[in-house]
Amino acid sequence: MTLNVTATIVFVALFLFVTWLGFVAAHWRKADLNILNEWGLGGRRFGTVVTWFLLGGDLYTAYTFIAVPALVYGKGAMGFFAVPYAILIYPILYLVFPKLWAIAHEKGHVTAADFVGDRFGSRYLTLAVAVTGIVATMPYIALQLVGMEVVIGALGFPTQGFAGHVPLILAFIILAAFTYTSGLRAPALIAVVKDALIFITIIAAIIVIPAKLGGYGAIFASVPPEKLTLTPPSGDSLGAYSAYATLALGSALALFLYPHSMTGILSSSSGAVVKRNAAMLSAYSFVLGLIALLGYMALASGVDKNPAHAGGFALYGPNYAVPALFLDQFSSWFVGVAFAAIAIGALVPAAIMSIACANLFTRNLYKTFIRPGCSDADEARMAKIVSLVVKLGAVVFILALPQAYAIQLQLLGGIWIIQLLPAVLLGLYTKAFNAPSLLAGWAIGTAVGTYMAATQGFATSVYPLAIFGVTLPGYAALYSVVLNLVVVFALSPVFGALARGTATKPVK
Amino acid sequence: MAKPASKANWLQHWPRALLAIPFIAALWVPSYNRIEPALGGVPFFYWYQLAWILIGAAIVFIVYVIETKVTRVAETARAQLDANGTPGDIL
Repeated sequence: MTLNVTATIVFVALFLFVTWLGFVAAHWRKADLNILNEWGLGGRRFGTVVTWFLLGGDLYTAYTFIAVPALVYGKGAMGFFAVPYAILIYPILYLVFPKLWAIAHEKGHVTAADFVGDRFGSRYLTLAVAVTGIVATMPYIALQLVGMEVVIGALGFPTQGFAGHVPLILAFIILAAFTYTSGLRAPALIAVVKDALIFITIIAAIIVIPAKLGGYGAIFASVPPEKLTLTPPSGDSLGAYSAYATLALGSALALFLYPHSMTGILSSSSGAVVKRNAAMLSAYSFVLGLIALLGYMALASGVDKNPAHAGGFALYGPNYAVPALFLDQFSSWFVGVAFAAIAIGALVPAAIMSIACANLFTRNLYKTFIRPGCSDADEARMAKIVSLVVKLGAVVFILALPQAYAIQLQLLGGIWIIQLLPAVLLGLYTKAFNAPSLLAGWAIGTAVGTYMAATQGFATSVYPLAIFGVTLPGYAALYSVVLNLVVVFALSPVFGALARGTATKPVK
Repeated sequence: MAKPASKANWLQHWPRALLAIPFIAALWVPSYNRIEPALGGVPFFYWYQLAWILIGAAIVFIVYVIETKVTRVAETARAQLDANGTPGDIL
């Protein structure tokens, strides 16, 4: 691959622009950034529009733009599960999170672990929630790097040896620096640019590319018919049907339990802002659906047959489908815009994720277990340092380990994060459940979910569950969280009775 | 006092039942796993699910509007009762 000079100039220019924006953001709605609430939640003052950009920029990551069309490109209809998933997240956001926002606002919670710890009065449950959040988010940050690496490689930069890692390391030094100085204000401001670039790219793609390929009819006609729809159930297996539905539902339930979603939600200025966004963010879901279709466009345009892309596909697999499609169909300067959209699309979520991890570590591990009496300034300083460590960890992760590990860990991350559902969700509505049973449910759900993924060699999170002679292939996260809930419901009365038997006042 | 409060809550939140509709539509896979009727060459499976993103957004928006209205009506009524010297929790 040779360096695409025009595209690289546009790409670098846009990247420098958002870098500048990231540092300027420190002065936006100026406040004391030495307080965690200001640095890590933007002072909880983001209105409907800023929250729309922030949550949109946060939830739809670079990996989404690369991996969803790659899945459709490789597996066909099954990859489209991202669409029912995107349909379901907004009713869930509307039903659950304005209430969480109200409680967090009243009590000054910064993280989900703050809320759970306060609600159930257990340090160990807080610990479980915080550690799960951090461990599930780390590979997610690493995956943002994968997205970035693919487009940098597609620009024609060398990909071998240490020189191959330089652009990525530079990008992350920039990211780390502006997150450190500006906190959540930086990704909130950059998200506006990111969204503008993404929308421009996608609108151009869905108009220009089908016109060149002979229309949507021709695109779908060139897809092998068996890929166009899901394989119907046969014999005693529900086949692709149960997998498709459980992947959509499980992913939707897990999404808002991720620390970075929580950070995005809690930084808004009111519960009504969250509710309005539950309707308005669908614009982004629609774009996600269109992005998924890029997978078929890549298939129809025969990117895999172009010898110029052989190296890219050898290196990145199906993840190279969309960059290859853009290289073939767009003029060089617009390739620069499109690739910048993806790379900046990695910066925004990566920044928010590292801030969310930093909030969790500082509030729920450092302050709870190590230095309970630390000052506000200490707390904010610690969070800033941790945000650097987290990003450094993600870079080392990507450079030192095969990429496949990041993808497998991300898949496990979904299974782990969903185990927080009982504590967060039930905690919002009732105090009928207690910390020991929630901890037991969490431990069993995590263990069984991990086991299910292990039986599949960590290659897929779809587990063939067999009940009464019928096989229901489905998302391991959903199966294991159901088990988690059963444990919580079964053990809560037992632990409740034990607690009443041993003490007259509630255990702190 | 607990009973009237939960009744008011129910009145205020009944529109949320509408939010079950997108769940049924999205998770009932056999209802849309087919090619025909295609729309401008796009198989049913694809355009139908894309359409549901928009319908789902519309449903969330409708629920939001109804809830905000109901809350406002209830608050106005309560404010009036208070102004008349009647205990507010009679509602």
